[in-house]
Amino acid sequence: MNSLERVIKSLKGEETDRVSVIPQVFGVTAKLRGYSLYEYVTDPSVVVECQIEARELIGHDVVYAFVDLTVEAEAMGAEVIYRRDAYPVVKATIKEASETDRLRIPEVTRDGRMAVILESSKRLRDLVSDTCPVVACIVGPLTIAGQLLGIEPLLYQIVDAPEAVETLLDMTEEVAGRFGRAVIQAGAHGIILFDPMASPVVVPEDVFVRMELPRLKRLFQTFKDRGALFNWLSITGNCKRILPYYRLTGADLVTVDYQVNLSEAYGLLEGMALTGNIKPYVFISSTYDEIKEKARECLHEMADCRGYLLGTGCEVPVDAPLDGVRALVDASEEFRRDHVR
Amino acid sequence: MRRGAKIETLIEAIIGGEAQRSVQIAEQLLKEGLTVETLIQEGLTSALYSLNTKCTNEDFNLLEIMLAGRAMMAVMDNVVCRYLPPSRTGETRPEKTIVLGTIEGDIHELGKHVVKILLRSAGYKVIDIGKDVPPEEFVSEAIKHQAGYIGVSSLLTPTLPSIKKIKEILKRQGREDIRVVAGGAAVQQASAEDLNVDFVSGNAFDLLRYLDGIRDELT
Repeated sequence: MNSLERVIKSLKGEETDRVSVIPQVFGVTAKLRGYSLYEYVTDPSVVVECQIEARELIGHDVVYAFVDLTVEAEAMGAEVIYRRDAYPVVKATIKEASETDRLRIPEVTRDGRMAVILESSKRLRDLVSDTCPVVACIVGPLTIAGQLLGIEPLLYQIVDAPEAVETLLDMTEEVAGRFGRAVIQAGAHGIILFDPMASPVVVPEDVFVRMELPRLKRLFQTFKDRGALFNWLSITGNCKRILPYYRLTGADLVTVDYQVNLSEAYGLLEGMALTGNIKPYVFISSTYDEIKEKARECLHEMADCRGYLLGTGCEVPVDAPLDGVRALVDASEEFRRDHVR
Repeated sequence: MRRGAKIETLIEAIIGGEAQRSVQIAEQLLKEGLTVETLIQEGLTSALYSLNTKCTNEDFNLLEIMLAGRAMMAVMDNVVCRYLPPSRTGETRPEKTIVLGTIEGDIHELGKHVVKILLRSAGYKVIDIGKDVPPEEFVSEAIKHQAGYIGVSSLLTPTLPSIKKIKEILKRQGREDIRVVAGGAAVQQASAEDLNVDFVSGNAFDLLRYLDGIRDELT
């Protein structure tokens, strides 16, 4: 069973030879080939080389076309500050949500670094074909809006100027939609959508329901229509309050962060496929054996739950050693030997 | 009784994040003869501690806390300030002074702003030294402003090694009396020992409780 078959079967809740392992390894892979993070986030050949190398080393079940979370905002006109050994940061470019005329709907092949993701998706697919899922990463509407406007002003304006925020979100949704369709067209099997601003730690449940949920629904539908094999929703933090809504988004897979208990999440998700919830910091603070033990705990907890994929609650930190990530695959292999699935 | 009811209304308006209404109610209360000290203690402080209770359960979200903080600051800036005597210069109390910044490599300031608003509302003097601040500067600013605490914020795990340096620098300068507290998404996964700090704060109120505890020990 190859990784693509394994992941697709896992998503459907069908039996697999072992539990799929899909840790979020992005910039952490750059050091495998001695690249800086700057090189990683700007050059598709670096992304491809490092993702392939990482998969050979770790043996996990996914490769990612991802650079950082500022791609969409930059392509819409925001200034991005690059650093050699850190992810770039974006500067707010508008003061009011109503200033959408100062932003552009990007041309995905030309503006900013969208082409880095498109090219990475294409080349990764050429290399792995249908043996391993190529997952392209896009950013959700609320987070893009937060980057364009600044998080604090966006939060205030959600209350003070909701109609203008809705208009801005219509625009960011359109950008996410165009970009998502383009990465599928370029060769990605599936999409992972990150929207940390939509976390209940940041906005109340009613804002998620009103401003985010209908947009996620439309986005995931349009990606499916374009041929995405699966949509993966990843919102960080304690999302317990909004987990019951995830089913309505049309996502096929969701990330559960470390603050939420896996079994409880499984119940709230009513059978949806889920991944998590290894704490990212353990890849820095813990030994290989300790990480493997944590992975084992997740596997045991979810042993009777169909549709569980072993993974991290968020991105593996860029300064973590990758040996620790290998512990997840080893744990899954050992678990298979001990428990015939 | 009537005054109590009005103060309840002020508390509700603040917690509900209604800045303009909070200012109007506070003005009205003072016009009706309420002292500014009572307004602070029974109105603003009660609102602050109601939020505190809210923050200890799963209802916590930044938006509601920020809106309440904004309403509280509106009352402080537009009403309370006009009734309080100007503070005397040179009256710095280390146990009520904190230097607050986002560590180098990180430019996120939202959490720091929330902390700033709440600590100021609770009567702390907050020196905001901004974002992307090197550890050395945290120390020099704390010494310069005679602060009893350094508050360091981080959203990004790669910045954690820089946080660890702050106490090392304090030690080299013989200023281990200055306590270091860390907050923000990145530090939540680590322990105080991992980060070489005195306290890792889960949220702004956690920090407030910690500072109040230390202050009570010292006074």
